[in-house]
Amino acid sequence: MKNHQPTVLVIDDEPQIRRFLRAGFELEQFSVLEAETGELGLRAATLSPLDLIVVDLGLPDCDGAAIVERVRSWSTVPIIVLSVRSREEEKVRLLDLGVDDYIVKPFGMAELLARARAALRRHSGGAGGEHIVQAGPLLIDLAARTVSVDGTRVQLSPKEYRLLQVLAQHAGNVVAHPQLLKEVWGAGHAHDTHYLRIFVRKLRHKIEQNPTQPRILVTELGVGYRLAQNAER
Amino acid sequence: MSRQKGFVARLFGAPLVASLSAIGLSFILVALLTAGIAATSLITDLSHVTIIYLIPVLVAAIRGGILPALVAALVGISVAAFFFYPPIYDFRIRNPVHVVDLVLFIFVAVVTGHLAASLRRAKMREQADALREAVIGSVSHELRSPLSAILGSASVLAKAPEILRDARLGPLVSGLNEEAERLNDLIQDLLDASRISSEGIQPHAEWVDPGDIVNAAVERRLRLLASHQLKLVVADNLPLIYVDSILIERALGHLIENAVKYSAPSSPIEVSAGRVDRMIRFAVRDEGVGLSADERDHIWERLYRSPRHATIGGSGLGLWIARALVTACGGEVAAVSAGVGRGTTLSIHLPVPPRADYEQLRAPDEESPADRASH
Repeated sequence: MKNHQPTVLVIDDEPQIRRFLRAGFELEQFSVLEAETGELGLRAATLSPLDLIVVDLGLPDCDGAAIVERVRSWSTVPIIVLSVRSREEEKVRLLDLGVDDYIVKPFGMAELLARARAALRRHSGGAGGEHIVQAGPLLIDLAARTVSVDGTRVQLSPKEYRLLQVLAQHAGNVVAHPQLLKEVWGAGHAHDTHYLRIFVRKLRHKIEQNPTQPRILVTELGVGYRLAQNAER
Repeated sequence: MSRQKGFVARLFGAPLVASLSAIGLSFILVALLTAGIAATSLITDLSHVTIIYLIPVLVAAIRGGILPALVAALVGISVAAFFFYPPIYDFRIRNPVHVVDLVLFIFVAVVTGHLAASLRRAKMREQADALREAVIGSVSHELRSPLSAILGSASVLAKAPEILRDARLGPLVSGLNEEAERLNDLIQDLLDASRISSEGIQPHAEWVDPGDIVNAAVERRLRLLASHQLKLVVADNLPLIYVDSILIERALGHLIENAVKYSAPSSPIEVSAGRVDRMIRFAVRDEGVGLSADERDHIWERLYRSPRHATIGGSGLGLWIARALVTACGGEVAAVSAGVGRGTTLSIHLPVPPRADYEQLRAPDEESPADRASH
């Protein structure tokens, strides 16, 4: 079933945006469903099996977070939200609610498709799925717990490995600060962002060719980090 | 009636109409109060009647401002003097106590009138601000939505096989993209500018690696920087800073855009982050048109455009926005140039918080660096 055409549900009140999203997704062999309000979107999500939901946060009839919460109450389908710039706290909150990624308007189709594919890949993976994650020259074997760059084994401390592991499990998608902090240091440290800054710096020195210009472990300012899968060597 | 009022409003403007109606209302109030006092004084003797005439003064001040309040005060005094202070039906006053009364009245009327009028101004300003906010909000949405559609559609067209096949169409689509992106930046500038003037900036500070800010600012402007030779210089092991990373990234972005605009294509631009004493210094150095002494003094001002560059497009907002964003984070900006035609260095200076050194700010790790990942 998953090898068939993936189905994406686009929830956006702007007809012109739905139109280009449809064209963009169809060019990439997706089958597209559209909804112009949050209510219609939720109904469509319950009626048909979906592989991906793309939802605009600026819907006139309901709050984007409400849609995410309601979908998450019964489904783990990947969700990507379309948001405007400079609402970083909101993005972090949505990621915490279970959104897989966000994209800032205006955006290009290639960017959205990259995030969508990353989310689909993880979702279809599951247990027994891909346990090797590659990002440019970096190779992470989640089963063997080994990390190598250009074939050379890299020594990581347990916390460094844990951090990289969480990012690898979401490869291609952003992981918000609070989630990373909770996974690596525990819920009591969800706001100690400086832990992340320090450990990311350590990690970059071990896995990046030029640690001050990272290509693999990329910062999303004010939101979190992303393991970039399109990292060139 | 309403047509006449509309005509008056067109001729003299709304404030005059408001003043006239306030004065008219205060006259009616004075007349009513006078009749009331006269009726009451048939039953009992009232002293200090002047206090009562503060009511029309306040009403006039709130509705029409300070001038109608003064008119109402004068009418009130005159009526009190005429009807109630001996000699009655005469504007003269005999009793010195009543003179003190009137002087006090005038003083209180002026003060309360002034207070009421400033209250009114504050209320009007509040309404104007609310209106402006509403306009900005809707402009942001109304302009952004079509732009998102344009940019998104262009990005789909750029990948469409029909377009890729025709060498003439590709450049059109990428032109569409670039121009729409330019428009988007302009809208962002206008929004930022109006937000800075109306509500100020509320930074959300977090610990951030200065290098991350440089990389984000450059990454977002790669297309713009493609015309120049970019050099990135980020010092190793910089201390973390505690600022709003988004605001500083935007400020640095404005410095980069300025450098691109005012230096020749394929000339070098260096973007750097380093430490100078207790400050982190972000700098953008170009080999472009440089700055005269006068330009250096005014370059950070709102809407300043040097007369030398009248032919180069620009809003005069970018560097002013940059300075406002940096100042809000407790930093400073600086412009240095060896002179006209000899390049410019614009920089942002942010304080390193005490104990923010890389070695001092620690994060817990397990004691043993034993690496299970390596076995």
